[in-house]
Amino acid sequence: MNEEQLIASAKNGDRKALAELVKNYEQTVYSFAFKVCRDREKAENMMQETFYSMIKSLHQFDGNSKLSTWLYRIVVNHCLMEARKNSRYTFVEQETDESLFDEKYIADWSTLPIKNLETTELRNILDTAINKLQPEYRVVFTLRDVEEYSTEETAKMLELSVPAVKSRLHRARSFLRNEITKAFQE
Amino acid sequence: MNEEIISCKEVMSHICESLSEEMDSPKCVAIKNHLETCEGCKSYFSSVEMTIDLYKKCTETLPDDVHKKLMAFLELADEK
Repeated sequence: MNEEQLIASAKNGDRKALAELVKNYEQTVYSFAFKVCRDREKAENMMQETFYSMIKSLHQFDGNSKLSTWLYRIVVNHCLMEARKNSRYTFVEQETDESLFDEKYIADWSTLPIKNLETTELRNILDTAINKLQPEYRVVFTLRDVEEYSTEETAKMLELSVPAVKSRLHRARSFLRNEITKAFQE
Repeated sequence: MNEEIISCKEVMSHICESLSEEMDSPKCVAIKNHLETCEGCKSYFSSVEMTIDLYKKCTETLPDDVHKKLMAFLELADEK
């Protein structure tokens, strides 16, 4: 069965088709949730909530968007709700462009010892940096840069304007880049 | 870690796309001219690309027990 047929069967109560749809997207959803939450347990919970929501509202899915896009919208909402429980973010919207694009961060990365780092050390640096970023910026960065959705698709999924996506992306990239630079300079 | 060398053209294309400018617009041409001579900008944009690359590589595979817990949670464990 192709995806359209699986969706139609699942809507008609076919549990096997439903299980197939879940299996087809569980890795995508888990991986995205992990990239946003940086925590295995939270990613697992987000994935469970996402598929629970999918099953509950599959009858409302009209096929006008891809199922993957629809699922991303659901998982983004769950991730944002979860992330907002944690208010300890360094990066706030009021931060000025001057502080984000400060010349002290224009270091040549070819001199940074990134290659010499153990995977776990590098992972800790990346986790620490992204955990400081506000969730609204984190999801834009993850959808646009990591998952490689277009600016327009990202805007649609997050119900943002295209300029808002561009602005958040620009600031998120610079913030993460600066945090990683700082971690190496400490 | 791959040490990707990024060209000014790629950087410019990236910036111009973010600005929604055509590649031959006056602003993009000015950016290109600046990038050709500015080492600071070159290394800055190269490091932004590396940042994206690092996060792309830092992924997580779904463990089998987490898959089983999901199927049990959704009461789909018996649907093979």
